[in-house]
Amino acid sequence: MRGDVRSRRVVVVPDVVVNPPDGASDRLSDVALCGWGVVALPPSDLPADIAQPLVTAAVDQVIAFLDGGYEVALLPCADDPGMRRFVAALAASGRTVADLA
Amino acid sequence: MRTVCYLAHCLLNANAKVDEGARCQGVHSPVLALLRDHGCTIRQMPCPELAFGGTRRFWAVREQYDTPAYRAHCRRLAEPVAAQMRADLAAGARVIVIGIDGSPSMGVELTAASDEWGGRPDKPRDEDYPVTLGAGLFTEALLDLLSGVVLGVRVVGIGQDLFDYDEAAELAKLDAMLGGAAGDAG
Repeated sequence: MRGDVRSRRVVVVPDVVVNPPDGASDRLSDVALCGWGVVALPPSDLPADIAQPLVTAAVDQVIAFLDGGYEVALLPCADDPGMRRFVAALAASGRTVADLA
Repeated sequence: MRTVCYLAHCLLNANAKVDEGARCQGVHSPVLALLRDHGCTIRQMPCPELAFGGTRRFWAVREQYDTPAYRAHCRRLAEPVAAQMRADLAAGARVIVIGIDGSPSMGVELTAASDEWGGRPDKPRDEDYPVTLGAGLFTEALLDLLSGVVLGVRVVGIGQDLFDYDEAAELAKLDAMLGGAAGDAG
């Protein structure tokens, strides 16, 4: 048996964190080092007909983690359109998640 | 040429795995580092099993998931992923799908399969988790949706759901594919 090594900590991150621009810090590697798993949001410039079902899928997965008792947080990026879209969709499902402290 | 890698959800979030199925706490850092080294754009695919069975689901083989409802669920999740891949291909990017060999859903060359699994969940993972040649159910749905452009998409499985998982060998396999992608671009 391998045992259960899951951290039970999940952070939602915008695409700009997964794919940082040249010269930007690698925040994804930082959260990885702290043991967090990530739910990566789609790029904010993706057409709505493609992005919306991907955001819906992200919401469904976050709800599964919340219902499973996992800690879920948002990587603070309030000015990111993709993050705003996700937060709105999560709120529409009656759920909220706080920013990563 | 830009290389866009579509990762199985659990490569960036091992919390989506079943109990005792995770190989790390969260992000699989060796894969992330390899993708960073190759300058890849990273996209995370949804985990079909997490959304369907939640975090407390048991280990399962392909036959246990292979229902019309689960296939429809996989197809619904795969449709926007396939659309995004088509857009990346149309923009001139090289697209690589990185699945999980041994997974009933995300397997590429190997998938968990058994006609005997069912009933009381008493099958120890480290003794008889059965695999067979073939893709997982989500991978099948995705490749079906990519008909017409599928030859432009490279697909590889990391064997994290295999009992004899050899991380060094799996990373070398991925490194070779990514290196080949870079070489092709030249």
